[in-house]
Amino acid sequence: MNCLEFRRVALAEPRRLEAEAARHAEQCDACKEFLVRALEDEARLARALRVRAPEGLRARLLDRTAAARRSRGILALAASLLAAVAIALVLAWPRNDPLALAGIDFVVFEEAQAILEAKPADPGELRRVAAQLGVALPAQLGELRYIGPCPFQGSTGQHAVVKTAFGKATLMLLPDRPLASRAVASAHGLEAVVVPAAGGSVAIISGSSRSLEHIEMLLKSS
Amino acid sequence: MLGSRQAAFEAAVGDCLEDLYRYAYWLCRDRWQAEDLAQETVLRAWRGWPGLREHRAVKGWLFTILYREFARGTGRRRLHVVPDDELHIEPQDHADPALAIDVDRALRALGEESRHALLMQVLGGFSCAEIASALGASEGAVMTRLTRARQALRRTLQPDAGREAKEG
Ligand SMILES: [Zn+2]
Repeated sequence: MNCLEFRRVALAEPRRLEAEAARHAEQCDACKEFLVRALEDEARLARALRVRAPEGLRARLLDRTAAARRSRGILALAASLLAAVAIALVLAWPRNDPLALAGIDFVVFEEAQAILEAKPADPGELRRVAAQLGVALPAQLGELRYIGPCPFQGSTGQHAVVKTAFGKATLMLLPDRPLASRAVASAHGLEAVVVPAAGGSVAIISGSSRSLEHIEMLLKSS
Repeated sequence: MLGSRQAAFEAAVGDCLEDLYRYAYWLCRDRWQAEDLAQETVLRAWRGWPGLREHRAVKGWLFTILYREFARGTGRRRLHVVPDDELHIEPQDHADPALAIDVDRALRALGEESRHALLMQVLGGFSCAEIASALGASEGAVMTRLTRARQALRRTLQPDAGREAKEG
């Protein structure tokens, strides 16, 4: 383990250093110093987050009738006043679905590595998985720039990068991830939509919402 | 009278409730909403309790339920989240209000995913792998978020960190 790797690990999980990292800190004074500071920071952070819990919290939380009683109390008034605002907000608030978010994370943090490490592409496998999901991949999608398997949340999907008329998009065919209904997310300047497919789902991730719409429409009409 | 199911449930979740509340508090930045969210979580946990196999992992389970409740966005509580630019720190709730204000500001400046991962780790004591499975992200992505989050927080937590960074 080199110093850079050590610092990454120490900042990701300062209180649970694995043996290799601990050995590095023992032998490297700069990293030992770095770790000491990271642990000091961690202690201050934990202290700052330790907001005082309200009196009687435990009793209220464990009393299963407490919620009902409180809703009849003063909060009911506040709730009704806020209801109109809440309705307006719920309509406007885009919800981030965890699976769709994970698709964005894949593109941001892992796609480049997946492409670098990929073995020679096997278009047959992509088509086989697409057929399994009941999805066709029409030529109008755009130019397939890359295809390959991708490890995704404990299973393997098929990963394709498509160049559409509106920009680059990533397609992930996920045969092991069934989905009840269409889900969306947006983060890191990317948008993702995951659509249910036979026995699994298909995630589309792109920086361009037009590109997303274009692909989703083509997949639907296929 | 306390049934044996309730007694077992209380024994298991009782120690986690304050941290659960704190997690809710930093997610929605409001005492009342935090307690509501924690209440909803405990009710759901109570209903799901008979089906939970690993009773020792109860804290992770509670945090995951709470996070999902928060993210679900259907309840009022999701909508009461205090906007990022509003100050919500009430001095009596914090041992060190000045630090809490700085940390609050620094947390707001982080991305939502980084903030969630950091709160789960510091308040819940979870590993990167556990956070990854709770948030539905990859472990590598969670590590990256946490690393960035702590880097960003260094300046807040240690005023002299800038100088140190140049030396090291
Ligand atoms: Zn070193």
